[in-house]
Amino acid sequence: MSRRVSGLQREVLQLYRQCIRAAHTKPKDNQPRFLKYIRSEFGQYKDLPRKEFSTIEHLLRVGHKRLEMYSAPELKDIH
Amino acid sequence: MSGVLRRCAFRLAGTRSLATTATDITPRLKTFKIYRWNPDKPAEKPRLQEYQVNLNDCGPMVLDALLKIKNEQDATLTFRRSCREGICGSCAMNIGGRNTLACLCKIEPDISKQTKIYPLPHMYIVKDLVPDLTNFYKQYKSIQPYLQRSKVPEDGKENLQSIADRKKLDGLYECILCACCSTSCPSYWWNQEEYLGPAVLMQAYRWLIDSRDEASKIRKEMLQNSMSLYRCHTIMNCTRTCPKGLNPGKAIAEIKKALATD
Amino acid sequence: MFSKNILRLSSARAFQTSSKRSLTIPFLSTLPQAPGGVKGTVNDAYKPPAPHKTHGSYHWDFERVVAIGMMPLVGTALASGNISTVGDSILASLLLAHVYVGFQSCIIDYIPKRVYGKNHNYAMYLLTLGSLFSAVGIYKLEAEEIGIIGAVKQLWNHKEEKKA
Repeated sequence: MSRRVSGLQREVLQLYRQCIRAAHTKPKDNQPRFLKYIRSEFGQYKDLPRKEFSTIEHLLRVGHKRLEMYSAPELKDIH
Repeated sequence: MSGVLRRCAFRLAGTRSLATTATDITPRLKTFKIYRWNPDKPAEKPRLQEYQVNLNDCGPMVLDALLKIKNEQDATLTFRRSCREGICGSCAMNIGGRNTLACLCKIEPDISKQTKIYPLPHMYIVKDLVPDLTNFYKQYKSIQPYLQRSKVPEDGKENLQSIADRKKLDGLYECILCACCSTSCPSYWWNQEEYLGPAVLMQAYRWLIDSRDEASKIRKEMLQNSMSLYRCHTIMNCTRTCPKGLNPGKAIAEIKKALATD
Repeated sequence: MFSKNILRLSSARAFQTSSKRSLTIPFLSTLPQAPGGVKGTVNDAYKPPAPHKTHGSYHWDFERVVAIGMMPLVGTALASGNISTVGDSILASLLLAHVYVGFQSCIIDYIPKRVYGKNHNYAMYLLTLGSLFSAVGIYKLEAEEIGIIGAVKQLWNHKEEKKA
């Protein structure tokens, strides 16, 4: 029952998965805050039309940069 | 530091007031159309926004006009600038269809014509006129832009070089890495992930011919593939656009020559 | 409706932060690209492709030698209108090599392996196949018929006949 997703959609899902995985490397007590942040950031653009390729591509670039920054082990908590 | 800043600000204010004394005549309103795009609202399409600037109380360069717009009309306009004299390479942008430094580009005095200002072409945009130069700097890092020697000089002080050898670096070391040339190169547009681009290749040549450097074998080896160097098809947009009047096209040709006779 | 959609899309793309999507050849599948064309972290240096046996300076030398070698041959052919069969076949094969290298360059530029993956190889195979056919054609032209210069000459004469 797998839905067919386009390449771009797959990339977004991959990024989301990477973010969640990065969140699970953080200290146990702070993880809910990370997860909440990730959900809110992704949820912000939930209603973006599927065809807005350039916008989605931009958001992916931003997301990857932010993931890189937040996944540094020195970063323990988020507010 | 703050003292310097204050002095600068004071001088700026001084020139402004000096200029405004002559403005009572008729204002010469020049229209600037500037590329705007806000990353906070990514779903909105980029657009050109019009600004009117009175040339009578504005400095002669495009950067002066941009600063004036930012100071007086729209503080959200974003661009990079630093030295305002063509030595830092921050304010590289596409003005009137040509990549150049805003601080070295005179405002066209004909007020019936509009001036269009875009960010450097074919780059990812961070905001308004600010392009993302990450890839460009990564490429610059890959050519190892530093002296590589196996041993320290005998007197323990400096690596000496003859006057003739030093002369070879003229026209190469002046490059400020503003990325005007690289972003004007069609080959770089299509393959910027792999082709190094004129600016970086010129620096590669600068380190290749430095008489004090001993790593030229590695430096040459790195370019022996179809992408890094040989995507240059001598289109020569780089030389045409260089705001510092340098010749990256010739430097690339020299690298090709050096590799061919190797 | 459909055309309107396309128009809207293209106008939206023309301006945006130079999306790679608008530059790719339609109907050719592409590989996913690293976001922003940046591989690794921001502080890693760009990694050049490994040195290649047939590319790099050898390739460039070959390109130049072919181009320079063609000059006197084309010159004499144009001036005298007739050179020996050997000269003629050298000219034809050099011309083929020149065209091959030129098209190869185009393929590397516009159908790069980085973006198109397998399709890059297919384009190269197609080019090689076409060149082999041309090589056979040149052999036939030289061995059984009038040679390349003769063929060009004939073209000229035909035009004149048509005019007359």
